[in-house]
This record gives sequence, structure tokens and C-alpha cells, in this order.
Amino acid sequence: MSEKLALIVPEILLFITTCIVMITGQWPQRAVRQFTPWICGIGLIAAAGAATATPDAVGTLFPALIPYTKVIIAMVGLLLLLLLSGTVDRDIETDVDRGLKFNPINSNRGEFYAFFLFSLTGLMLTVSADDLIWMFLALELTSLPTYIMVTISTKEHKSREAGVKYFFLGALGAATFLYGFAMLYGATGTTNLAGIAQHFATNGISSIGMMGMLVALLGICFKIAAFPMHFYTPDVYQGAASPVSAMLAFVPKTAGFIAMILLLATVGWHAELGLPGEINALLWIIAAFTMTLGNALALIQRSVKRMLAYSSIAHSGYMMVGLIAGPGQSGDPFWRNGIAAVLFYLLCYGVMTTGVFAVLSAIEKRNGQEADDIDDIRGLCKSYPALGWVLVICTLSMLGFPPLLGFIGKFGLFSSGVSSGNIGLVVVLGINSAIAAWYYLGLIAAAYLDSPGDSVSTVTASPFVSRKIAGVISAGCVVLLLVFAQPLIEGARNAAALSPATPNAADHAPLAPDPRHDEDH
Amino acid sequence: MIQLTPQLTTLLSTLTNPMVALSDPAAADPHAAATTAHAVGEVGHGPAWVLLIPFLPLLGFVLNAIYAAIGNKSKLPAWTTVGLLAVAFATTLSMFLSYDGSPYTVHAFDWIQVHFGDKSMIADFSFYVDKLTILWMLFVTGLATLIALYASEYMSNDIGTGYCRFFSAFGLFVFSMSCLVMGDNLLMLYLGWEGVGLCSYLLIGYFYKKPSAVAAAKKAFIVNRIGDLGLALGIYLTFVHFGTLEFAELFSNEKLMGYVADASVGNFSAIPGQAQWIALLLMIGAFGKSAQFPLYVWLPDAMEGPTPVSALIHAATMVTAGVYLIARMYPVFLVSEFALPTVAWIGTITAVLAATIGMAQFDIKRIMAYSTVSQLGYMFAGLGLLTTTGAAFHVLTHAFFKALLFLACGAVMHGFAGQLDLRKLSGVAWMKGWGIVGVTMLIGCMNLAGLPYITSGFYSKDMIIAEAFVTPGYSIIGWLLIVTAILTAYYTFRVYFRVFVGPQHAEPGNEHHDHDDHAHGEEHNHDAGQHGDHHSSGFHPHAPGWAVNVVLAVLAFASIAAISLAYIDKAEHHGWVGSMVHDSTAYFHSPYVEQAHHAAEGTAHAVDGPVGFKAPKAVFGMDAHTAMILITGIGGIFGVLVAAFFHGPKGWQGLFIGGRTEAAKCRMDAVARRFGPIPKMAENKWYVDEIYHAILVAPLRVFSHVLHWLDKLLVDGLVNLFGFLPRLFAWVIRPSQSGVLQGYAVNMAGGVVILLVVVIVVVLRAGGAA
Repeated sequence: MSEKLALIVPEILLFITTCIVMITGQWPQRAVRQFTPWICGIGLIAAAGAATATPDAVGTLFPALIPYTKVIIAMVGLLLLLLLSGTVDRDIETDVDRGLKFNPINSNRGEFYAFFLFSLTGLMLTVSADDLIWMFLALELTSLPTYIMVTISTKEHKSREAGVKYFFLGALGAATFLYGFAMLYGATGTTNLAGIAQHFATNGISSIGMMGMLVALLGICFKIAAFPMHFYTPDVYQGAASPVSAMLAFVPKTAGFIAMILLLATVGWHAELGLPGEINALLWIIAAFTMTLGNALALIQRSVKRMLAYSSIAHSGYMMVGLIAGPGQSGDPFWRNGIAAVLFYLLCYGVMTTGVFAVLSAIEKRNGQEADDIDDIRGLCKSYPALGWVLVICTLSMLGFPPLLGFIGKFGLFSSGVSSGNIGLVVVLGINSAIAAWYYLGLIAAAYLDSPGDSVSTVTASPFVSRKIAGVISAGCVVLLLVFAQPLIEGARNAAALSPATPNAADHAPLAPDPRHDEDH
Repeated sequence: MIQLTPQLTTLLSTLTNPMVALSDPAAADPHAAATTAHAVGEVGHGPAWVLLIPFLPLLGFVLNAIYAAIGNKSKLPAWTTVGLLAVAFATTLSMFLSYDGSPYTVHAFDWIQVHFGDKSMIADFSFYVDKLTILWMLFVTGLATLIALYASEYMSNDIGTGYCRFFSAFGLFVFSMSCLVMGDNLLMLYLGWEGVGLCSYLLIGYFYKKPSAVAAAKKAFIVNRIGDLGLALGIYLTFVHFGTLEFAELFSNEKLMGYVADASVGNFSAIPGQAQWIALLLMIGAFGKSAQFPLYVWLPDAMEGPTPVSALIHAATMVTAGVYLIARMYPVFLVSEFALPTVAWIGTITAVLAATIGMAQFDIKRIMAYSTVSQLGYMFAGLGLLTTTGAAFHVLTHAFFKALLFLACGAVMHGFAGQLDLRKLSGVAWMKGWGIVGVTMLIGCMNLAGLPYITSGFYSKDMIIAEAFVTPGYSIIGWLLIVTAILTAYYTFRVYFRVFVGPQHAEPGNEHHDHDDHAHGEEHNHDAGQHGDHHSSGFHPHAPGWAVNVVLAVLAFASIAAISLAYIDKAEHHGWVGSMVHDSTAYFHSPYVEQAHHAAEGTAHAVDGPVGFKAPKAVFGMDAHTAMILITGIGGIFGVLVAAFFHGPKGWQGLFIGGRTEAAKCRMDAVARRFGPIPKMAENKWYVDEIYHAILVAPLRVFSHVLHWLDKLLVDGLVNLFGFLPRLFAWVIRPSQSGVLQGYAVNMAGGVVILLVVVIVVVLRAGGAA
């Protein structure tokens, strides 16, 4: 028990912080209320510190996964905090300025920060998961607060609509993977991931076990916004306030990918054949469809947020290449380790996308509405040079432009795909990167080449300095993390090392055909 | 950048040492010893302060760029540049004085180190210093300092951003030139080569609002590119064949030493063709940069740049880079059967051609430009005739007197609002405040004309021409060069007699000089306005200020003082330059010279020289040098007299034998009419530019139009098609994003089911097939 507790110290710290901010956020004195984001930040830093000291999780499939992953979660979490702080406070504090008394009952500012931290807690718990039940609860802890955050992020109708859609479809997704988990339990008689791996390794993967795995993966596709569970993404991203959209792009996606990595590890990657045939085929189709759909639909958007939502879908498709490639042989370098590539790319994507959303959050229309249309960012490099350049740098990085951070991330995905023999999928990835260049460059051209024109009168800087800072830090990371890419890459490689003791079902001979196969669906 | 591993350092040192050891037997060979190139021994490490020479000008570049950024509007950029360059010159001087006779390298930082297999390509940012380097750097930094001082006044109309831009490029140029001359490997040389090309481009196009300047800059860049391609290929081939780019290693290379030994006995068939091609390729690069036929066409147009640039870059330093390249790589040229003869012939053709064009021009700066091309031709002829000493000596003297001539012409151009037409200027030397310009211009003209004994230009030119007569089979070159010398004397003094003496007359150019408030406004020559035939009575030429006069005087003095160089070490090395060249890779001990001397002295013991060499006969029964001093001396004086007769003014009781009383009219006009269309053709540069346009530019343009339409219709069409497909796909699937919650749920559930079915069917099929 105490070993398990040692693994979740960061989550415990975050939980304590959550409880504190729930109270301070509703405090009658304004100074205390305004200190709330600082408390969140302190909690995140403490969690990051605790994460670095986490011991190896003995007996799990990825013993060294926790420190690296939780540190990047906390760090991107800090960036997101800079972006989120103030989102719901603004209206409330404006009311207070107008002389209205602060009424904790009518305020939701405490909850907003608390839900953010709850979601991050859930994300970290997903990383620590060694059991299906734990994983399910952690995934739901990650997502449930976000439903509410989307709904309360603005006072507009579209946010409520987005929240409702997100909640119902999320429930559908959760039900799907819970169904899969149940089948896995039915097939193996255990909910422990290492136990499932052991069962698969010794007894082979039964049809029901395979079915459970496929359904679970399809369900988790909701979290990562992958085909066929991606439909909610553009509506929700557009409906939520930009800072919340940024969070949606990172937090549930990371949780989904970690869960997928842990689930896939139970069947393992065969040294030559890779994942078991059905799973490989499923992920292949999902990856190819996801990136193509995402990029194609992003092409025809005028709303920057919708474009970013589709780009988020496409990026999930890219990262699935790493999942299919697998961790390679033990001791392989970073560029042959697909799981390390995914972990590193999650960091890259979190930083880049936060940067772009930060730019969108840091400007607003004169009537107080969010900047969203591509016309709103036209000539940004001239009207707001700092924001314009953040947008240009982060977008170039998302496009995978060398030598920015996104290039290194994408390089890992490409190289692991090639070294695992998935040339076909890498070609699809390459074509999609080219398609993506179209709309990313369109974004850059709008910000850099076009002149502000009339839109200069429609867009103004929003009053949150912290958002601007978040953007500048993101762009700085995109450029500067290159210099420190080596330790990060090494960290990802260490985190993605499969436990040498892991029994590997995929190493066994192909399964005997099961007569009940056709009846399973 | 790939870091050098310690193992590799040791590997390299073991590679270097045996090579040095192996080169010794070659040097000990009696035949090879007579003709071998100077073998580079163990190269030590030099003092780090040598790095100041390239990096001070670079600092100047950076500082001037900063001045431009902060909007400096004073002469600070000029003084910064002059100061830094003066220190660089002082450093070069101390490098010269402290040089103890053995070459050394100075390492700045690791630059390019690539290892593949057992080979490695090392090109560090380091500098190689031998006497050839020192010789070149002395006049590069010295002249750069002087010309920067001159430019501080000359460019003062542009104080502000333009001034900063000018001196910024100036500093970058000197840095690049230092890399070119001092680099310890061919890649550094290439870096400097491209760097000076860039600076040349930037400075020719300095007046970027003037279309002709922009066109000239482009022309210079593009024509140079042709040469640079040759240089690049030559460098590749050097690496492929010899496995190294570093001079120290290359010149102690066992293979190269063997080739040189073969070449010295005329056994070129023993040398692989690949090694012989290197020199031919490098030669093309040298032709481009040093404006040799057929790539000379850019240099006259380059006069669109400010005059200090013409003086420094396009007369004194950059254009001698080709001479430097050949001198530096001389052993490689020696082993190529056809390279040096080609160099000699091309040099001669260029010298004659440019001189004939120069005779018919009216723009004094262009005349100087053609004379530069022509004099560069002499240098190449010298290289081809195996007298690197003569070539290097001519580079040195030419650097001084041609810089002087350009700067004097520049002073005229500056003073007369851009007027450069010799028909519209006359008697400038007599105008108030123009005395120093007149005298120094005269000294420069005398040097260029090669008046015997009193000019350094005479000694250096003579050394090359004499070599032509002692080298068997090259006496035609000798005669052509003598004719060119006469033409040179004629066109040089044509300028002097037309512009600087005679009746005072000046029509201003079309540059608006409304800058009466500038530094020497009070020195304006108001006398000029009093002369009756003055067109614009409101125009006041302004005489040059102290900076211009000081620089002109120093250069004039240096042109004369350089005579002494011919007498230092004369017995042993044919002058000081010879002693400098002797200790460098350019050293080549020509058997012809020795034999000629012996033949003249009646000592016949040299007849049993290497196979294939025959002792040449003496010229007119005299030693070749003595004969040439007579012939070229008389030729030069003859040329001056012709110029005096046809262009000289009337006056001084017939001391000037000419009869010119007006600026635009002279005896030559009548003579020129007799020649029919020939003068017009020469004035139009023998239509070389038009010929190039017809046979190269026009067909290429047609071809590029074809490609353009191919690109537009076919390639763009395909690209747009492929760009359209994803959009089409997007429009097709867009309805799935209806925004309706139930629709999404159905899509999701349906997607899950369909995917499961597809996957299981796919895998069963695959399993069934297997």
C-alpha cells in the first residue's frame, strides 16, 4: 500500500491544492481570491517536484513512466494555468467593481480552478494506473471536470451547447471503453494490467479478450479525438473559451494516449510483426482516417478555433503512428522508440497548441467577444508584434518546420514508423503533413504578410497579461527547448522503456482461430 | 558542426608526419630539386594576435551595422573603420617583421569536420601565414586603410544610413579578403572568395536606386558565378584526388610532389588526367574574379560603384584574387600540361583586347577599368610564363598606382558633380586647389605607362615581358605585350592630356551637389566660374579636402618608392617581391631564367638541363632583361609622345607638342575619322556584350520562357489538382459535422461497429490467405 502511495504523491499534493483553492476562490476578500491562481501554481510546482522523486513502479509495464510524464503534465499545466487564470473571474470581478457585493453562492470561480486541478489530478492518476478500474476512474476524473469547465467558460449560449454535447458524447465514449474493459475482465479474470498481460502471454489472446481490447481502444479514441469518436471536437473547441480549448487539446488527449499505451502494453509489440493483427489493423485505419479527416476538414475552415480543433484531430492521427510502431527493442535509441516519440510529441503538442490558443485568448473583438475568425488575426505581426510572432513560431512548429520543437517531435514519429516497418503509414503521415502546411501557412500568411486593414478596429488586446506571457513562454519553449531537446528526448526514451520482465503476448505464435469469432460482434 | 574526436587528432598527425617524411626523397632528387615547387615542411602554430587582422574589419562591419541601426548621422563609421583597419595594417606589419621564415597556421575555431569511412574533410577556421600571405595582406590592409580615409570624405554626401552601409560593407570586404588570402584551406579561400564577391555586389549596387548600378551589380555577380562554378569544381576535385583541402597538407602531399617531379622533366603522361583538370577548373575561377577574357565584361560596368570601391575592390585587391589563387596553388598548376600556357595566352589576349577598348573610351573611370583588365592580363601572362615573382610584383605596384589613378579620377568626379567625360573637362590641374590631384595623377599615369627607371610600374611590367622572351615559344606573347605597353602609355596619357592640362574648362555632371554646408564648403573653387566657356555659370567645382589629398600623396609616394623593391635582394631573388615569393608555395625556380642568364654570360654549363628545356637565344644579342628595358622604355615614351601630339594642349612655347585649344577638339578626331568604323567599334567594346547577349542571354531567355509556361501550365496545374483533392474530400465529408448531437452519437456508434467489422474481416481474410 505504501509503495502505491509513494507513486501518487503528486496527485495527493494536487488534490490538497484543489481543496484549498475551492475555499480561497470563494473568499470574501478580493486579495485572497486573486491569490488563488498562485496557489494553483505552487501546487503544480510541488507536484512536479514530487514527480521527479517518484520511485520506479515495480511490477507495472512501464516502470519509469511516471516521473517524466507527470513532470511534463505539471509543466504544461503551469502554461495552461497562465492561460486559464482570469477566464471566469473577469465578469465576477467586474460586477464587484461596479459595487455589487461578492456572493460566493453565485460565483463559480473557485470551482473553475478546482476543476482544472481535478482534471490534471485525473490525468496524473491515469499515468499511475495499474488496474482497469483505476484507469477508468482516472480517465473519468480527467474528463468530468472539463465538461463543466466548457459550460461555464463563457456566459454565452454556445458554451452551454458545447458542454452538453461534450458531456453526452463523452458518456457514450466512456460507456464504450468501459464495455471493453468489462470484456477484458471477462476474458482474463483480472483487472490488473500486469495480470492481464500475464494472462495473455501464457494463454494467448482469446476472442473475447481481443474484442474487449478493440472496443476499449475505440472508446478511448474519444479522449484523444480520433476517428470515429472525433465528431464532438470542433463544436466543443469552438464553443468553449479559447483557454479551455487549449486545455482540452492537451489534457484529455494526454490521458487517452497514456491509457492506450498502457492497454497496448498488455498485448505487447512483437519484435517483427508488431501489434497483434487485429489491433494493428484497427489502429492503422484509425490513424490514417484521423489525420486525413482532420487535415482535410481543417483546410476549409475560416474559424481559427475550428481549424485548431481539426488540427488537434490530425495530430492525434500522427501520434498513433508512434503507438503502432511501439517501443522497439530494449536499449533502442529514441528514434526507434515509437512510445518515446508519442510521449515527447505530447509535450511538443501541448506547448505549441497552448501558444496558438494563447494568442487567440490574448486578443478579443471590440465588443468583448472572442477572436476566432481568420480575419481577426490578419496583420497581427504589425498590430501586436509579440503576439504575431508567437503565432508564427508556434504554427511553424505545429507544421513541423525545422529546426523548431515540432520538427523534432514529428521526426521521432516518422523515424519510429520507418524503423518498425510501417512505411505505408509513414507515407500517409508525410502526405498529411504536406496538406497541413496549407492551412498552417495560411494562418502564418494572414498574421505575417497581410496588413491589419479594417480588422485593426475590430480586434484589441484582452486585459490578461498572463495570457500574453503564456504565449511568449510557449514560443520561447518551441525555440529554446531545441537546445535542451537531448535531455527531454532521453527522458522520453527512459520513460517509454517496457519493463524487461513484461510477458509479451505478441511474442507468441499467432492464435488458434476461435470458432466463436464471428458471433462476438 | 562535427567535433573533432581525440582519436582523429592523433590519426591526422600520424597522417601528416609520414607525408612530410616522404616528401624529402622527392626534394632530394637532383632533377626535381632544380624545378620543384617550394615544399611545405612541418607547419607550426603562430601567435594568436594574427587573428586581429581578419577580425578587426569584421568588428568594423558589426559596429557600422549597429550605427546604421541606431541612426548615426556623423562621420563616426568612417573613423571607426579607418581606426580598425589601421590597427589591422599595423598587425600585418608586425606579422611581417616577426616572420622567421617558416610558415605557420593560426587556429581560430573548428569549422567543418566531416568524417566518412577512413577519410575526413577538415576545414577549420584557421589562417595560414607564409610570405605570399604577408605580401598580399600588407597591401590589402594598407590600401584599405588609406582608401577608407579617402572615402570618409568622398562619401560624405551620404552621411547617415548610406554612410554606415558603405563602411559596413567595406569592413566585411576586408574581412572576406583576409579569409581569402589567409585561409589555411581551400574552403576558407572559397568563403572569402564568395564573401568578396558579395561585398563587390553590395558596393557596386550601392546606389541601388540607379538602374544602371543595379544592372552592373547583377552582371558582376552572375558573371562571377560562372567562374565560381569552376573554382568550386576545382576544390571538389582537389579533395577527391588529394584527400585534403588544407594547404599545409596539400603541398606536402606525396602524390603532388611526385607529379611535380614528373612535370619538371616534361613527363606529363605520368600524371593522371584528374590531377591535371584541377588546375584548369581553378583557372576558370581565377578568370572570373580577375576579369580575364572571356569573363572580363563585368569589371568595366562595376565602375557604377562609388570610386573608393572601384579603387580598392575593382582595381587593387579583389581582382587580384585570381592571381593569388594561381600563385597559391602553383604546384597544382605546374602539374597540369595545358593550364599555365592557357593562363599565359588568355592573359595576353585580355591585355591586348582591353587596351584597344580603353583607347576609344571617353569615360575616364571606364578607361581606368579597361586598363585594370589589361594590367591583370599582364599578371596572368606572368603567371603563365612561370614568373610568379613578376606577377606578384606587378600586383603590388599596380595596386598602388591604380588605386592612385582611381582615387584621382574619383576626386575629379566628386568635384565636378559626377562628370567623367574627358571631352567635357580640361585643365583641371591648373584650377585652384587641384594641384595635388594633378601631380599625383601624373605620377600614376607615368607608372601605368611604364616610363623607364622612374616608375615602379616599369620594373614590374618589364619583368613579365622579359620572361616572355626567355621562355621558348612565347616570344609572340612578348611582342604582343610590348604593343600593349605602347597602347597603354597612349591611352593613359590621353586622359592626362585631355583632362588635367590645357585650357580650363568644366561642365558639371548631372549629380546634384547641393551640399554647400559640408566640411570643406569654404574651399570651393570660385575661380572656375570665371572662365568664359562655362556652361552653367552657377556651378562651382569643389576642390578635394585634406583626406583626399593626403591619401593621393601617400599613394603617389608609394608608387615611386616601390622602385626600391626591385633593387632589394636583386641578385638573389630578382627583388624584394622575389624573396617574398621564394618562401611560399608560389615559388617556382624557372629553368629558363637561369639558362638565359647563363647563355648571356657565355657560361654553357646549364645546357645539360632537364630534358625538353632548350636554352633560348638572347634577344638582339643582349640579355633579355636589358633588351626589354630598352624596348619597353622606348615604347612607353613613344606612347606618351603620341598622346601628347594628338591630345596634348597647345602652349608653354611648344613644350606640349599638342595643338588642343578646346576641351572637346583635338588632332585625334581627324585621325579617327580616317579609320572609318573601327574607333566606333572599339568605343562600343567590340560589341562583346552584344555578342554575349545574342549567343548566351537570348537563347537562355527563350528557354526560360518555355520552362515558365511549362511550369505554369503543367506543374502548377498538377499542384493545384493535388491541392484540390483534399478540399474536395473535405466538402464531401463536411455534412458529417452537422452539429446535431444525436447525429454525432449515431456517427460514433456506427463508426465503432463498422470499424470492428472491417478489422475482423480484414484480419480473417489475411489469416485465411495465410
